[in-house]
Amino acid sequence: MQTKTNALSQGLIRCHDCGYLVKTETKMSSCPRCDGHLHARNPHSLQRTTALLLSSFLLYIPANIFPIMMVNQFGAGEPHTITGGIVDLIDSGMIPIAMLVLVASILVPASKLIGISLLLLCAHFRWQVNARRWTTMYRMIAFVGRWSMLDIFMISILVDLVNFSGVQIIAGPAATAFAAVVILTMFAAENFDPRLLWDNQQNSYE
Amino acid sequence: MNSSSAYHACPECDLLLKATLPDVGEKAHCPRCGLLLARPHKQSVERTFALSIAGIILFFPANLLPMVGITMMGNANTGILFSGVLALFNEGLQAVAVVVFLASILFPLVHISLSLLISGHLYFNLANRYLAHWMRWMHHLDEWVMLEVYMLSIIVACVKLMSIAQLKLGWGLYAFVALIVINTLLTSGLDEALFWQRIEQLRTRKNNAN
Ligand SMILES: [Zn+2]
Ligand SMILES: [Zn+2]
Repeated sequence: MQTKTNALSQGLIRCHDCGYLVKTETKMSSCPRCDGHLHARNPHSLQRTTALLLSSFLLYIPANIFPIMMVNQFGAGEPHTITGGIVDLIDSGMIPIAMLVLVASILVPASKLIGISLLLLCAHFRWQVNARRWTTMYRMIAFVGRWSMLDIFMISILVDLVNFSGVQIIAGPAATAFAAVVILTMFAAENFDPRLLWDNQQNSYE
Repeated sequence: MNSSSAYHACPECDLLLKATLPDVGEKAHCPRCGLLLARPHKQSVERTFALSIAGIILFFPANLLPMVGITMMGNANTGILFSGVLALFNEGLQAVAVVVFLASILFPLVHISLSLLISGHLYFNLANRYLAHWMRWMHHLDEWVMLEVYMLSIIVACVKLMSIAQLKLGWGLYAFVALIVINTLLTSGLDEALFWQRIEQLRTRKNNAN
């Protein structure tokens, strides 16, 4: 049951919160069904997403350079970076777990940063692309984002459990930076409006 | 285009579509961008109500009973969700502690409570002017409930500790796993379109009665 038109070009705004369609001509600012704020496209989508993305890029550097946790054994501390933790896992022969952490802590954040950058460029410069493919990419970025919290939760578990007089695990400064990267990129993905990709296509109805 | 409710729009590409709900067990995808638009479940309200009750009940053992016990060089220690938050807080990582607390304890609790409130009202046909607000909050919270990510973290942490310490899995962990299963069934079976429809029906009925 497909029409060949955007809701907006027919004078209808879809409520972002509940999906209700409201006529533009009513000039309503909130949804009659759920009271959510009405806007045809996410407000300042590109500016907000860009600001959040740039902050994530900046924090991505300390997140990877500084130790994310320290293992204190009888007074001698040994710092671990995110990459160091993965190398340790490989050294002890736990390849599948090492791959899992590699994906969640390095590949996912990096591909999110690159992916959102590409989406922003595409929407800003009105590239003529296969919008369906790009929307799928957006969807994947939005879906995988939360899984990067893996490392943060793991640190909270390790810090809590390994707290003995002889051995202690202490969280490092990179943990704050890394958690910020994960959350900021999640907000960035949420603020990006994939409908902008479709608005810019000249032949999106074929 | 007289009635706007005869149509709906795809949230990700804004394609205007005739509002036809697929049959139970079938899926409706957006023909243009491929987004999964609706997947109605049988008796979504009843199902959500029952699962929310189970979720609320499981929330307490999952949070209060020890999850993992560790023995290392003669010393023993156990951990629950909140003790991890506390450990981060005491080490000066307050911001991270707050994030962990929200994503693994508070948001899951609020999310299940909201779904219990909403489905309870719909189940007993009770009108409430806050129903729409609760629906909105629940919709926005969805992404920030990270129980299954936490579960994966427990597995990775256990694998890391396995070689240097003795581990013992506690009842808290089993309750936590059950909570995740319930929560997954809950979110996948909650038919938002149907819920909105029922909320509107309740509202119009109440307005007519007045
Ligand atoms: Zn609405
Ligand atoms: Zn679509």
